[in-house]
Amino acid sequence: MPPADPCQAVDDNNIVVAVNRGAVVAGIQVGMRRREAEAVCPTVMTIEHDPGAEMARFERVAVAVETQIPRIEVVVPGLILAPVTGAVRYFGGEDPLIDRIAKEIDAVTGPGFRLGLAAGPFAARRAAELATDGDPVLIVEDDDAFRDSLDVATLNSEDMAAVFRWLGISTLGELAALPREAVVSRFGTDGLRAHRLACGEDRDTSDRVIADDLSIEERFDPPLENLEQVAFVARSIANQLLSAPALDGSIPHRIEIEAEAADGAVRTRTWRSADPFDERMLGERVRWQLQAWLDTARMRSGPGIRGGLIRLRIMPADLSDRGRQLALDEDAQSSAEAQRAFAQAQAIAGNDEVLQAIPQGGRDPGERALWYRWGEAPPAPERDPRAPWPGQIPAPLPALVPPDPYPLEVEWDDGIPTRIRLGSRWVEVLSWAGPWRKVGRWWDGEHPADRYQLVTSAGAFLCAVVSGKTYLTGVYD
Amino acid sequence: MPEGEAETVADAVRLEQFKGNVVAPAELLSLQPGRVTGLVGHPGFGLTRLGLTMLASREQLGPVAYLDVRGWLSPPAAWEAGVSPESLVVVRCDDPVRWARVAAHLLEGVSAVYAEVPTRMKPAQLHKLVALARNRKTPLVLRPLQGDLPSGMAHLRLEARRVIWEGAGYGHGRLTTRRLVFAASGKAMRGMVRLIEVEDDGTNAMRLVSGLAAAPSGRATG
Repeated sequence: MPPADPCQAVDDNNIVVAVNRGAVVAGIQVGMRRREAEAVCPTVMTIEHDPGAEMARFERVAVAVETQIPRIEVVVPGLILAPVTGAVRYFGGEDPLIDRIAKEIDAVTGPGFRLGLAAGPFAARRAAELATDGDPVLIVEDDDAFRDSLDVATLNSEDMAAVFRWLGISTLGELAALPREAVVSRFGTDGLRAHRLACGEDRDTSDRVIADDLSIEERFDPPLENLEQVAFVARSIANQLLSAPALDGSIPHRIEIEAEAADGAVRTRTWRSADPFDERMLGERVRWQLQAWLDTARMRSGPGIRGGLIRLRIMPADLSDRGRQLALDEDAQSSAEAQRAFAQAQAIAGNDEVLQAIPQGGRDPGERALWYRWGEAPPAPERDPRAPWPGQIPAPLPALVPPDPYPLEVEWDDGIPTRIRLGSRWVEVLSWAGPWRKVGRWWDGEHPADRYQLVTSAGAFLCAVVSGKTYLTGVYD
Repeated sequence: MPEGEAETVADAVRLEQFKGNVVAPAELLSLQPGRVTGLVGHPGFGLTRLGLTMLASREQLGPVAYLDVRGWLSPPAAWEAGVSPESLVVVRCDDPVRWARVAAHLLEGVSAVYAEVPTRMKPAQLHKLVALARNRKTPLVLRPLQGDLPSGMAHLRLEARRVIWEGAGYGHGRLTTRRLVFAASGKAMRGMVRLIEVEDDGTNAMRLVSGLAAAPSGRATG
């Protein structure tokens, strides 16, 4: 669609995470709820946020920048950090370098990109955000003055920014002038992070002495081409890396992903995060990158991985001696062991057989859980679990629910259940409750059902009568 | 529920003062490290709910696993029993060979395992798992889908004897509370068979309502 037409991307929680220029003009902002955005601009086109697909599209930009600066670092799809000291020297200045990069990106994406050049990733990112359509490049001349002039809202914490403003602090310069101890005692860890950024300390400077080779390598025969396999490998390798004894509790801020294709080509990409990587973050980045390489090769839109992946190597760097923040009752060792146990169970039983569930709304017990694969992010509930759901089966709920309604023989006497057949014997119904009428989704061909709780000497059962036939829908085991 | 039945159960469960050389009543519904609990009985007697209550007692130590052979577990019942959605991981596996391998891996890593035992499972495999559970100090709940566990395997064996539901009438009311009667045996009971009664109101964790009572001795010969 034309870029002027408003378009937004929403995440699983229906929060706007990205907008195009048309949407900005219409008044939509990142962070709005989807309904709010649609109220502001009813014609906005909405797409679901899919980082894997975005990385596949963004890979061409990464390759274009890489032609000028060899070691770039991807933060998220859409944002690259590139250390320029060597390249500036090579090309004879910042302006020639930025011109070349801008030309390369423009050839791939057309107008709409932003470039910021400053000392440190935080300031460079803010500079890119402050660049405009008319002038997409912002080179910061005086880094300290630039950082000091930034608004406290750039810390990406609305609550903290509101308190700072209430205290009369509106810029990062004013925040940096406060004693760090005072900020930490008032705002805790978030305050410490904010103060560090305000002081220009956005790189971890206290690297510990680490072992020489911490990389993890896996080979695949036959080559991996399937995204499901890639996702599994990404999770597995993330687990292996972060539970490696050599890391000794320290966590990387940067990882280098090296992949070898079946045709012998080797691809390398570096990813960076301001927070230390945990298993989920690391697994996601590896999956996004591999998906991007496989997709670009499949679409022949760039130098991806042709013929499948035969070797994957992950190298951690920029290790943080702060380690990972655990919950009070969390034990790092047992957590890593549990992750490994589930990963191995997944390898034996299959990807779709290791599951977790979250609550969602529904009238039948089977509808009230939304399953998702272990290791993946929980999806957003399809039905609101807090809604009243009139006609739903009351608690306690049956512990066993067959995946599909199971035919049950019930003897009825003038509409009253008298006996049910359990295996080879008939059991008398001692008492019963219901029916709870469920109209069903008639537009989907679903028939109305009357649901009963039947109590026998062998336990209680939940059944549904649909079109004159009785089905077992739950066992109160 | 007919009123007479409740009295029958109350009569059957003779309440006696608990004497402390066997497992404490409160510990019956919680899992101990490395101990194996066997749950024996047909579906409908509340054994799944009892097992989930036991898992809930370990979830603060890390994720718990439910090895689901039939694929019938309904997570809302687990949440009602006190297991949080983040802590419960369900592994579905009905093949006996893979089942044993999956169970072994789970015992290596998670804080408690509830495993439905598939039919035609070899006793030797189960003995290996029990040894692994003891070695790793992981509590294991075994629920055979048919028949019983090999003798001497479970530290505590709970056999469902009776279930009595309250709340439902004849076309009115709804299920509210149930009382479950189990025969407890095994090393935890020092070889004696005792009847225990458990009340379950569905929304809270189960609680033991009776003390431990020795089962009626029956007729003696000799």
